[in-house]
This record gives sequence, C-alpha cells and structure tokens, in this order.
Amino acid sequence: MNIPMYDAVIIGSGAGGASVAYTLTKAGFHVALLEKGDFLKRSDFSKDELAYCRRNIITPDLFNEYHIIAQEKNAHWVETPTYESGWSFWNGNIVGGSSNLMSGMFHRMHPDDFHLLQKYGPIEGANIVDWPITYEVLEPYYTKVESLIGVSGKFIPHPFEPPRSHPDYPFPPTKENGIVTLFDKSCRSLKMTPLVTPRAILSQDTSDRNACYYSNYCGSYGCSSGAKGSAREALIVPALSTGKLTLLSHTHVTQLFSSTKERIETAQCINTVTKKRFSISGRIFIVAAQAHESVRLLFNSASRFHPDGLGNTHGQLGKNLIFSGGGAGEGVLHTRTLQDISPQILMQPGYFFNRSLLDWYYVDEWWDGYFKGGLIEFMFSHANIISQALRHTYHDGRLQWGEALATRLQKTFTQQRAIRFEVFNDWLPTDKCFIQTAPNHKDIYGMPVGKLHIWGHSHDMKVGNYLAQKATQILEAMGAEYIYSDISATPAPNLIAGGCRFGNDPRTSVLDPNCRVHDIENLYVTDASFMPTGGSVPYTWTIYANALRVADKIVAHLHDL
Amino acid sequence: MHRRHFLILGSVSTLLPALPSSHPASQKLAFSRVRETIFAVQKHMFPPHTSLPSAQEVNTIAFLEETIFHPSYDKDIRAFVIRGAHALHQKEKGRFHIYTSEKKEQVLRRYEESEKGRMWLSRIMILSLEALLSAPVYGCNPAKAAWHALQRNGGMPEPTKKYIYG
Ligand SMILES: Cc1cc2nc3c(=O)[nH]c(=O)nc-3n(C[C@H](O)[C@H](O)[C@H](O)COP(=O)(O)OP(=O)(O)OC[C@H]3O[C@@H](n4cnc5c(N)ncnc54)[C@H](O)[C@@H]3O)c2cc1C
Ligand code: SF4
Repeated sequence: MNIPMYDAVIIGSGAGGASVAYTLTKAGFHVALLEKGDFLKRSDFSKDELAYCRRNIITPDLFNEYHIIAQEKNAHWVETPTYESGWSFWNGNIVGGSSNLMSGMFHRMHPDDFHLLQKYGPIEGANIVDWPITYEVLEPYYTKVESLIGVSGKFIPHPFEPPRSHPDYPFPPTKENGIVTLFDKSCRSLKMTPLVTPRAILSQDTSDRNACYYSNYCGSYGCSSGAKGSAREALIVPALSTGKLTLLSHTHVTQLFSSTKERIETAQCINTVTKKRFSISGRIFIVAAQAHESVRLLFNSASRFHPDGLGNTHGQLGKNLIFSGGGAGEGVLHTRTLQDISPQILMQPGYFFNRSLLDWYYVDEWWDGYFKGGLIEFMFSHANIISQALRHTYHDGRLQWGEALATRLQKTFTQQRAIRFEVFNDWLPTDKCFIQTAPNHKDIYGMPVGKLHIWGHSHDMKVGNYLAQKATQILEAMGAEYIYSDISATPAPNLIAGGCRFGNDPRTSVLDPNCRVHDIENLYVTDASFMPTGGSVPYTWTIYANALRVADKIVAHLHDL
Repeated sequence: MHRRHFLILGSVSTLLPALPSSHPASQKLAFSRVRETIFAVQKHMFPPHTSLPSAQEVNTIAFLEETIFHPSYDKDIRAFVIRGAHALHQKEKGRFHIYTSEKKEQVLRRYEESEKGRMWLSRIMILSLEALLSAPVYGCNPAKAAWHALQRNGGMPEPTKKYIYG
C-alpha cells in the first residue's frame, strides 16, 4: 500500500500544532496536519449555548473517549472515569483546537518566570527548575504573536510588565464597558494599578479578518467574525492558502510507529467517521495534541525500541503535570446601589471589562513575605443565559419554581450584574501530579486512556488565597455584594501543561531545549507540555510563541536533511 | 457519590422502579407512559401569568422529549428522567396530572425530601429552563419571549441548526 509522505506530520491542530504548520508551509514544506475533530468554518460558529456549552458536540462523547482522574482523598488515591463524573478534560476538538473557544486574555510570562529556582530557591515537595531558555530568547516570538495572531492592548508601564521590544501593541484595546471608570477609581483608592488586559482579539479589521463585533459571548464560543486569534483563523487558513498544507480533519492518531530506535516513520491514524485505519509518513513528526493527550500518545507508542513509551528512557514522561493555580471569585453589583456609573452602563452587553492586576506578581513586603505571586483578571460573569438562570433556582436549600422563581430570575437578570475575578498563580510541579495511561481502560479506538493524577501543593493555595483577598478588596471598594472566592486544587481543565519537560539533561527532561525528544531525532512536541513551570498567566501566548520558535528550528532541521 | 453511581445504583434500590431497558424503542415506550406526568410537573414549575412564558405555552415537554432522545444526551440521565417520572407516576397512581395546584405542590415537596426525588426535580428544572431559554431553533423560544422577559439576548449569530449539525 502507498503511504503518503510529507516533510512534516503534525498531530493536533491547536495553538501548538498550527504554529508549526504555518511556519513550515510558508517556508515551502509539505505538511500534513492531522486533527481528530471536524473542520468548522467561521460561518459555522453561532452562539448556541446548548451546543457549545452544555453538550459534548465539539468534544468527544465521554462514554467513548474519557480520562481517569485520580485525586487524593484521606491519604488514598481515588480514581474516577470522567464519563462517571462528567468532568471532561476535552477542551475543544475541532480544527484549531481549544484556541477557537478561548476568551483571549493574553499575557507574556515574566523574565523571572524563566528562572524561578534561581530567584526564589526550592520549595519543599516541589520540583521547580529553571528553564533552559531565557525570556530574551522567546521575546521576538511573543512579539511575532502580537501581529500574526493579533493581540490588542495598551502598554501601561508597570514594574512587573515584561519588557517589550516594541513600544505598544499593534492593535488598540478592545472596547470597554464604562464599568472600568468605577474599577479604576476603586483600584486607585487602594493604591493598586489597573492594567488594560491584552487580548488575542482584533479591535480593527485586517485584510482577511473582521474586527470584533462584541458579541457578548466570547469564551467557550467560536468567533464568526474572525476577530479571535484562534489557530484556525490566524494560522491554518493562511497555511492552507499556500497550497502546501494537507489538513486531515476527523483523523485521530493512535500511535507513532518506527522500525528503528532513532526515528519515527509513520503516524497510525483512524478516520473517526468511516473508522478506516491508515498510516501517514513524514520526515519529521510534531506532536501537539494538548499536554495530557500528547503524553498519552507518546506512552501508547511504546515499542521494542522504546518499551516504556517515546521519550521515556529516563522515566520522565508524564511527570510534572501542571495546571493554572488559583481559582475564581465573584461579587454582584446592584443597579440600586451603584456608584459612579449609571445602571444602563452596567447592564450594557458586549464590551469587555478588560482589566487585570499585576501588582502582586512578585511579592516582597515586610509583613507578607517574599514569594512569587500572580495575576488577577477581572471580567463580567459569563453571559450564558441558561447557566446563569440555573444558578438561581435554589433558595434556602430548596428548589424554587412558579411565580417565586420567575420573579427572582427577572430581578436577577435585570437589576444586577456579577463581576468575576480569576486568579492565576503557579501550580507548582510535584511528584504527585503526573500523567500515566490506564491499561485497563480503553477508548473506542482500543487505546489506553490517559490517567491524570491531580494534586496541588499547599503553597499554591496560600498564594491563591493571598491574591483572592486583594481581588475581594477591590470588589468591596466597588460596592459589590455577595462576594465570595473559591481557591482550590481542583483545576480548570482548559489550562494544562507539563508532562514533557524540556531541559538540557536527558535524565531529568523529555525534550531538549528545542523541544525535540532527547533520543528520537525527528520527533518534536510543541504544545504546553514542554513547560517545566507555568508562570502565573494563562498559557496560550507562550504556547504560540514557543511553537513559532521551535518551528524555526524545524525549518533549519528540514533544510539539513 | 458520583453522579453515575447514583444514577445506576438508583435502579437497584427499592424506591425507584428498575431502569427501562436502554434500547431506544423500549425507552420511548416507557417515556410515553410518563409524558403526561412530566409535563404536569413542568406546568407546575412554569405556570401561566408569571413574567416568564408558561410550560404549556411553549410546550416544554416537546423539547424535553427531543432532548433526552438526542444522541448527544447522556443515556443514563435519559433513563433517570424516565425512571424518576415512573416513581412519581406510580406513587400517585397515575393521577398527578389531575391534582389541584395545591396538591401538586404538596406532592412535589414531599418527593423533594428524598435525595433521588430532589435530583429528579432538579433535572426536570434544568430541562425546562433549557427549553425556555435556548435559541429559537430548538423550538420553545420562538418569539424569544423568555429572553425579553429577562432583558437578555442570546447572541449573534443565532444558530440555524440544532446542535451545530441539525
Ligand atoms: C473556554 C476556554 C477559554 C480559554 N481562555 C483562555 C484565555 O483567555 N487565555 C489563554 O491564554 N488561554 C485560554 N484558554 C486555553 C487555550 O485555549 C489553550 O491553552 C490552548 O488552545 C492550548 O493549545 P494546544 O495546542 O496545547 O491544544 P489545543 O488547542 O486544544 O489543540 C489540540 C488539538 O489536538 C487534537 N488532538 C488531540 N488528540 C489527538 C489525536 N490523538 N489525534 C489527532 N488530533 C488530536 C485536539 O482535537 C485539538 O484540536 C481557554 C480555553 C478554553 C477551552
Ligand atoms: S466577535 Fe469578539 S466577542 Fe465575539 S467571539 Fe469574536 S472576538 Fe469574541
């Protein structure tokens, strides 16, 4: 049988995979991009809460494809399949991956995040290491992302803003709800510095993408204007126009295969619609299936040359899984007690809140101590109508219905608006947080599913609570009621990294500094699994930047072959 | 206890009758026997003359039926919806739908005292609010009356096909 041969075969079309597809095709190479999900176009994306937020339509049915989640309870690890809990670790399985659905809050990591160990020293029970590259190496790629993906923002000098090679963002900030007047005033009264949140969202038209039309439904939804900087819009569509990209949607990769120790030869695929199995060969392979699924694929590709999985010669594969530490909180602004802005402004849908705080990214205070803090992001609570209504169906522990429920919903929806904050701090890498496969649990394709051992270090909780307290002060100053926060070691599954650490030493890392698997010369990993520590910001800007950096190395590699 | 354990264990406890067979045809039959009871519960939850459209007006039961039998819907929850309705139906000897509003309130509040009853009512509430507040294409919100009552808009573009693919 004739197996098609490409210069590069990429598994996963999200932020990590598409960045490589873009760079390689622009450099003239033939690339196969394999994506297990469907290819939804701009025109397919609507604001359908049922389809996008309440059912598994763009993620697999958990009965067919699931994860095992192991969590420590009373000194025992309790394992729960996600089909049982409903806690899905699929984040968006369509061309462009979960980047289609992101809210687009974008932050660079800080230069000190690259050498956390050097700056703060070890923390007991945590495997903190310095990165094998510095901020200066990544900076040109962070800058490239600003124009290529499209990042809007306004640079406000702040001691903890990472240095920039360009004075400001290529696009002005997205439009803001007038609530920022109240927010900024409240921050200043507390001697805090409000910053404009950079967003991977176009505030102005470009030649092939339209500016944001402020749909009010951004996170968890695909964008029908092309404004959101998804991998599909910003990278895959332009890569397709080179004529060098073969995009295979509905193509699930089950294994990477080789007849030698040093090289991968084929990707074993299955068409998820026809269930036909086939192989694709390439000179170079790039895995970017999102951190936990990339690790699973490397484990499931074990062979006589790599009996414990690819990249696992030194038992490092799957170790040091990280999420984003922190949590979220909320307060409610009531039109009745509103200060400084009118109820009409508060209730106006569409425009963003767009404010974040970096004041405690690093904490060095006589009273509080010296430690790495994090970022606080402010936003309106998600506009989803069904899920908002469902939050108000109980009163005093009993389900409400009839007139009482209708009146309550009407009051809640028309007279108040919830302000949410999200805290991002480091999820320290530890020996207790890692990924394996579960040999007794197979997916619909007959492959062992991923088992995620999830464990958060108590230090993360301390830092998260510290930041949440600061956020709470602001909500109080704004006049919010019913304020609460929830900092926990139960992570959001959409920010996931680690498991294939990069580093100089093959005994302690899976990938080399260029994200190539140490002992396999033509295998790279370009999603967030390379990250030894996560910084205290959402990951996607860093995923894009690093994948673009690695893509340049792959271009050089292909030229050398 | 995890959701699925609860749903499945429920079938062997004495409070609720056994799970209807997971075969769609027999589930359809089982559903048809309790359709009236479920709709009566929805009508009690969303009566006429409140600020929201009533269950009767927008025919929430049609949405519920279509939803739970859609392939994207969790098959165990589908069975649970039917099973919980059977329990209520049997307890009230098939008369729930003809009770007065006061009697219905009494019965449902009593049903709510058991954990399974509470979970079942909560599930009916979820399915009813999904009906009332989902996009017009799903059939129960054609004039967006519920959205207007809450002064909300579902966002543009509105879906033109159910569950993306129609
Ligand atoms: C609702 C939501 C909001 C978010 N908001 C933000 C935000 O504001 N800021 C931010 O920085 N980040 C945000 N994120 C996170 C961001 O989307 C991810 O960090 C980023 O997209 C991850 O990129 P990736 O390439 O690792 O994975 P993905 O983008 O998920 O791509 C992986 C792709 O690989 C495919 N795949 C997996 N396994 C296989 C296989 N075996 N064969 C073939 N294909 C496979 C998947 O289907 C998927 O399309 C958000 C995510 C979500 C879901
Ligand atoms: S139009 Fe704007 S707000 Fe709506 S999804 Fe696109 S980027 Fe987000």
